[in-house]
Amino acid sequence: MNGSQVDVPLAVRLRFGHAAVQYLADQVGVDLLHIKGVAVDPSLRPGGYSGSDVDVLVRPAHVSALDRAMRENGWRLYSTFEYGSPFGHAQTYQHDAWGYIDIHRFFPGIRVPPESAFERLWADARGIEIAGVTCQVPSVPAQALLLVLNSARSLSSNRADVAVSWGAASSERRAEIKALVDELDAPVAFAAAVGGLERYRHERDYQLWSVVSQGGSRTMEWRARVRAAPTLSAKLRIIGRAPLVNVDHLAHRLGRRPTWSEIVVEFFRRPVVAVREALPRRRGTRRFR
Amino acid sequence: MSDHLHLPSSVGTLEMDGVAYVAPLPCGPIVVLEGSAVLVWNEARSGQRATVADRVAALTGVPPDAIRPQVDAFVADLVALGLLA
Repeated sequence: MNGSQVDVPLAVRLRFGHAAVQYLADQVGVDLLHIKGVAVDPSLRPGGYSGSDVDVLVRPAHVSALDRAMRENGWRLYSTFEYGSPFGHAQTYQHDAWGYIDIHRFFPGIRVPPESAFERLWADARGIEIAGVTCQVPSVPAQALLLVLNSARSLSSNRADVAVSWGAASSERRAEIKALVDELDAPVAFAAAVGGLERYRHERDYQLWSVVSQGGSRTMEWRARVRAAPTLSAKLRIIGRAPLVNVDHLAHRLGRRPTWSEIVVEFFRRPVVAVREALPRRRGTRRFR
Repeated sequence: MSDHLHLPSSVGTLEMDGVAYVAPLPCGPIVVLEGSAVLVWNEARSGQRATVADRVAALTGVPPDAIRPQVDAFVADLVALGLLA
């Protein structure tokens, strides 16, 4: 008869990660929805789950409160909203006991304001038990939509979720998903995942979803992000941030916080990389003239 | 000392492949219970604390007095760790 503290399987650790962040959210009055991973309905994960982190969508007005509570309870910021992804939608934390968790403040592809989108998903959320804690998850059609939109950010060769969530869906389920696409104003990203993206070539976010779903250089992606930004101030924020060094990424590459001189070197390295990306494309263009 | 033990709301638990995993939330760590520890854990969460050894004995077919000291000590450890209250 012995109780011991040892390494545990990742599948177990992730479930406790969901339970821990939900417990903390309940303590501080934060609304969040568990998305992706072990929180997904089994009907949408017929082959089981093999993820490596926990994902939650937080009510935007509650993000600061959750960030504060997490840092006070052993989570360390691993990457920030600003530099964690091209969309700026999530930041990652690491915890010694629970591993990695991504906190989403909005979901890429959904174009209604983040607070409205969360409220819509929250309206028909339901509770499931994970490691003994009741966790709120979106409705099954909403889960299917989020998986499809998530797939739109990967190249077409890696879209198993689309085959299950959309390809194998009944006509009734498809109608529910399409209704959510309309309500959440997510037609372009949805088309990038399931097909028909060219119908939206005049939309401001067409190029962005074309690049992320079909591939392209970092420079093409950056230009598409500027074009996709809904307001002038949002465009300027992206432009203003572009030359800055991604200190989070640099720190992880080096294995420590970078020195100021290393940040300066990186500052000049990024435009050089962009120029190198642009040059072959120009040369290629000349060949066809 | 409480007559009846229960799982506090601040403790998460799940069982997978015959192994019980228990953790205080939100900070952890995860405690792994295997073999006879799982039997004791499941019995200790319900019924009277004083009868845990008797119930485990009934499940395993061993004389209660042969395992009572170990079972009671283990239950005391679980309480001390905050995994039962």
